[in-house]
Amino acid sequence: MAEICCESKSLSSSPSRVARRKRMEIRRFKFVSGMPLTPQENAKRQKKVLGPISPRECDNAVDNSSNNGVIEVSRLSLDLNLSSNEASLEKSSEVNTVVVVDRCPKFGMTSVCGRRRDMEDAVAIHPSFCKRDGQILSRMHFFGVYDGHGCSHVAMSCRSRLHELVKEEIETDEVSVDWRLAMARSFKRIDDEVLGSSDGVDANCRCELQAPKCDTVGSTAVVSVVTPDKIVVANCGDSRAVLCRGGRAVPLSIDHKPDRPDELQRVQAAGGRVIDWDIPRVLGVLAMSRAIGDGYLKPYVISEPEVTITGRTPEDDCMILASDGLWDKVSNETACGIVRMCLTGQGPVLSPSSPSENDDNAGDSSDKACSDAALLLTKLAMARNSGDNVSVVVVDLRRDS
Amino acid sequence: MATTSSSEESRLHCCFENWIIQQQNDLRELLQTLKDSPGDDKKFCLVIQKSILHFEQYYEERAALAPANAPFLFAPPWCTSFENSHLWIAGCRPSLAIRLIYTLSGSQIESHLTEYLQGVRRGNLGELTCEQLGLVNDLQCKIYKEEEKLSNKMASMQEDIADDPLALIANEFDSGRVGESNDDVDRALDAHSLALATILKDADKLRLSTLKELLAILTPFQAIDYLIAAKKLHLSMHEWGKRRDQQHGSI
Repeated sequence: MAEICCESKSLSSSPSRVARRKRMEIRRFKFVSGMPLTPQENAKRQKKVLGPISPRECDNAVDNSSNNGVIEVSRLSLDLNLSSNEASLEKSSEVNTVVVVDRCPKFGMTSVCGRRRDMEDAVAIHPSFCKRDGQILSRMHFFGVYDGHGCSHVAMSCRSRLHELVKEEIETDEVSVDWRLAMARSFKRIDDEVLGSSDGVDANCRCELQAPKCDTVGSTAVVSVVTPDKIVVANCGDSRAVLCRGGRAVPLSIDHKPDRPDELQRVQAAGGRVIDWDIPRVLGVLAMSRAIGDGYLKPYVISEPEVTITGRTPEDDCMILASDGLWDKVSNETACGIVRMCLTGQGPVLSPSSPSENDDNAGDSSDKACSDAALLLTKLAMARNSGDNVSVVVVDLRRDS
Repeated sequence: MATTSSSEESRLHCCFENWIIQQQNDLRELLQTLKDSPGDDKKFCLVIQKSILHFEQYYEERAALAPANAPFLFAPPWCTSFENSHLWIAGCRPSLAIRLIYTLSGSQIESHLTEYLQGVRRGNLGELTCEQLGLVNDLQCKIYKEEEKLSNKMASMQEDIADDPLALIANEFDSGRVGESNDDVDRALDAHSLALATILKDADKLRLSTLKELLAILTPFQAIDYLIAAKKLHLSMHEWGKRRDQQHGSI
């Protein structure tokens, strides 16, 4: 039954905004069964909604990028700390230079409400979020994009907690990090946290009234940890990480859509169904097959991430993490092409007449370039009528930048 | 008294017609300024201020007329049915302003993407900076919050119709005498009109503050661009609506 449903689906033939909704208006159910919101609650909710995208957050992001981008430069000899795969990668480029730049890659981000009335996206950026004692070289930087559904609070929890959990997991590893295990554990823990305690739920979000346990709320999570030698990406849901390598777009995660053959099989094996309601949805409700939260769709919708570990090469230009507000409208290739142009200097320079043009938080033009690239992608998604929140993180991976 | 005399109605109608004429004049002036004084931010600012002033004056006039005539302003017979079916508290939704910014910005960046990537800059709405987009986004969230507050107030007022006293008075009449009026009814209807007038003023305030804050985020050139598009949209909707109504024989 489910397979038939899925085969009959026509994703591209029904690109209406309604059809692209990730979730069959779970909120609507709750309004029916719950109470109408009072102005106070609405005010609270909006306050919450403001959280993830306050200009302060953005400024911090830019500030961080410039600080960490400029200051952290260490010199060391090659034989000191390179793991075996790093060494092989390094050989192709800088074996004889003996200088390895160990600093946070530059980055920029944009996160906007867009044409939706609720802001459910959240972005977390934590440069140098973890230093492993035994390994001076192993500075790691955390980037995460979370696209909530049903309400914003699961995405908010991910934003405030997931990097801490990942940090805890990798710090417990004595010798070398088992990334797959560390990510799987972190995702499991955040899932337990958001499902377990209703007290942990921030009272500021709009679902606060609806139930003691907001079981119908969830979030995607695409998380990347960038180390000097590799890019680890853990993904759960339909946000996506894409690497731009030598001008080509290399996806670092594969969206968990319910009609992805292996995911369809997994859902069905667990006893669930995928029903085509505008687009394929687990139990006819959720348009993704994995997510943090969504207790009511377990065990069909799981929180286990798929993890990719990619060695960094000198050809790497940048990485883009974004919610489907971008990817539904802009292809991997287009996005990579645009970011690459922005980063290589052919791209945006601020218009001379801009009122807010002050370079206080953009001491380094490359950071500006990352921010501008993220901005441009966001605008492009909006231009193409994206009806969703749009969140984009651009990380500059070029070693000589 | 809640009854609007025909002279009052014509005053209201006049206020609206003058407003439309003023919008047309403002649009002409904005377009002319853009053409005659390209890059002259000082001139741009003057015409922008003038536009804002006209909005202020229009809303002041409405505020003065509202207490006695609020129901007319909520369902104005001089507006087209298409316009009336999209009214939010006797006017446009403030968040429309944000949507228009996104639409204009998006279409301008999309149509000039290649040359933009080559470094060509026009300074138009397509080139909103990170800071500007952040501010627009913050404003959007704020407006949604305010809109929702007013929408909830409006909802509550609409439900009041089915409450004491109107629902009870209506039910008191004997079966054959539905809709009879008395002092209690007039008092209740007057109270409803006044309540409508209050919320109308609040909504107009929000519309005005939205416009002002939005224009403050934009460069003078972008602001002119925006005002032109907003006025064109407003006036076009009016004309398109008229044509529709004529086709349907309702005017």
